Amino acid sequence: MTLALCLMARPSSAHEFWIAPTRYRPAHPDTVAVSVYAGTGFRGELKPYAPSRVVRFRLRTTRDLDLSRAARNGDLVMARFVVAEDGGALVSYESSFADIELPGPEFDAYLKLEGLDEVRAARGSSASAARERYARCAKTWIAGSDAKRVTAPAGMTYELTPLADPTTGAVTLRATFRGQPLSGALVRAWNRPLMRGARPFDGAARDSVPPVTEGRTDARGLVRLNLQHSGEWLVSSVHMAPSADRDEADWESYWASLTFARTEK
Amino acid sequence: MKRALLLAAGLACAAPAFAHDAPYSFLDLRLQPGRLEGTLTAHVFDLAHEIGLADPNLLLDSTRAAHEAPRLARILAPRLQLTGDGRAIALRFDGASVERARKGVTLRFTAPLPRSPGALDLETRLFPYDETHETYVNVYEGDSLKLQTVLDARHDRARVYTGTRQGRLAVVATFLVAGIQHIFTGPDHVLFVIALLLLGGGIGRLLKIVTAFTLAHSITLALATLRIVDPPARMIEPLIALSIVLVGFDNLRASPGRDHRATLAFLFGLVHGFGFASVLREFSLPPSAVGWSLFAFNLGVEVGQAAIVAAVAPALGLLRGRSPTLAAGVARYGSFAVVLAGAYWLGERLLLVGR
Repeated sequence: MTLALCLMARPSSAHEFWIAPTRYRPAHPDTVAVSVYAGTGFRGELKPYAPSRVVRFRLRTTRDLDLSRAARNGDLVMARFVVAEDGGALVSYESSFADIELPGPEFDAYLKLEGLDEVRAARGSSASAARERYARCAKTWIAGSDAKRVTAPAGMTYELTPLADPTTGAVTLRATFRGQPLSGALVRAWNRPLMRGARPFDGAARDSVPPVTEGRTDARGLVRLNLQHSGEWLVSSVHMAPSADRDEADWESYWASLTFARTEK
Repeated sequence: MKRALLLAAGLACAAPAFAHDAPYSFLDLRLQPGRLEGTLTAHVFDLAHEIGLADPNLLLDSTRAAHEAPRLARILAPRLQLTGDGRAIALRFDGASVERARKGVTLRFTAPLPRSPGALDLETRLFPYDETHETYVNVYEGDSLKLQTVLDARHDRARVYTGTRQGRLAVVATFLVAGIQHIFTGPDHVLFVIALLLLGGGIGRLLKIVTAFTLAHSITLALATLRIVDPPARMIEPLIALSIVLVGFDNLRASPGRDHRATLAFLFGLVHGFGFASVLREFSLPPSAVGWSLFAFNLGVEVGQAAIVAAVAPALGLLRGRSPTLAAGVARYGSFAVVLAGAYWLGERLLLVGR
């Protein structure tokens, strides 16, 4: 077990970021709370809310609501809302950049892990430290009958958008960067069981798991993932480019994620 | 380093449930009449490391947390620097409780504040060996939330202006000085103003030019500060340099009866206002005193600008009275110098944009 965990150890910078609702299939008038986790292998710690870092934090139901003032700085629950009908809800969150500086070998290991081959090629054999700034672009789909709420892009800088309701059937996702299809992006998927009532287990009180499947987007930005299991799913992808502000960082990355629950076997 | 090794070891080989991926602390400060109340919540992992406790979870026992609280307070208090109007505030720690949701221990403290401060300054790096550690800070004045911010290794200080008269005075004093400093430490703005003055003119004409510049930059400073219009700095900075080149050229084309300086001052003043706004925003404006800070910064810019006019215009006027030929030479070669300096900045800033 210990050996397996050691093999799964990853560079500390390569932390997925995802939104976890208290229920993925609420019935109205349930109250749903959403929190965010940062971690590896679909296991992570709660990330406190920081209004100063929010670029967008919205709830899409019958209306589109701004949630950015729903919580205070440091709160572990970022928002609570009452499910008023059965159409489903999409919560989207985008952060501003945070900075990190990594030694060359660790940065290279992280690029390799995230499939950022173009950046690796651009760096060549450089072993120099890298200054990176990264932004989070996370969504969660709280299932409902109106699939258009999850199949329409939320308007985030980097985004994974399913072509159809991801809670059932085949899942094809479109990766878009600044609204344009992004080809060659590595998209990975993790799976964890759910409790009764489509409630996720505490993200901090479970073990890391390796991705179940992965794929790269084609020229149209599309990737088809074979998600056979029921339970809670996280799909995640990282896009990195040279920083637009070289005084601040050498590279800038965007971490797109989508969480949802599937029930079929 | 020690902490980094601990973290690395945790990430690499410990069971993931014990790895510390939550390097966060939470600091709440509450200004009450006559006193300051506060709570500091830190993760048991960090606290255990500080006191050499092998099992951090022992601190989740309230009796053990209360027992260790004085020791923890002695370690953390020096890393939490609070000043009111520049005077150090001595904190008295007086209790602890366990906060399971945050896997932390909350330390409570108070401090007497005989006089309500106008500006409360906070500087903290609670666990300085951990570069990734973040402290979520909320400051209340009574029940009003005055500040929400996150402090870390790169940004380890914050300032809060209170809603009192002293608070407003502190805002005005701080931003007035910032406005004056910006004018005198920004050679591009100084040169632009001097370029407008080089051709001289009567008091009425100079007043018209200066008023046009002031009006224009005040408009865009306010629009950009309030985020109504927000052009990117990479566009504004080259435009400021271009404005200097064009004013220099206009001086060189001057002829009797032709004076477009007031118009140019207004048009380019709009651009300079956006430049002032980008500086003002770096100060992280107090949300409850945006109006006062904007007013004071603009006033500071005007004071700086008036000082330049007061120094340059009479000197040029004196020279013109004694030697019109020499004054004309100063205007001509001065304008050449303005064009060259502006062109240099323009090239430099365009290169930066293209990087």
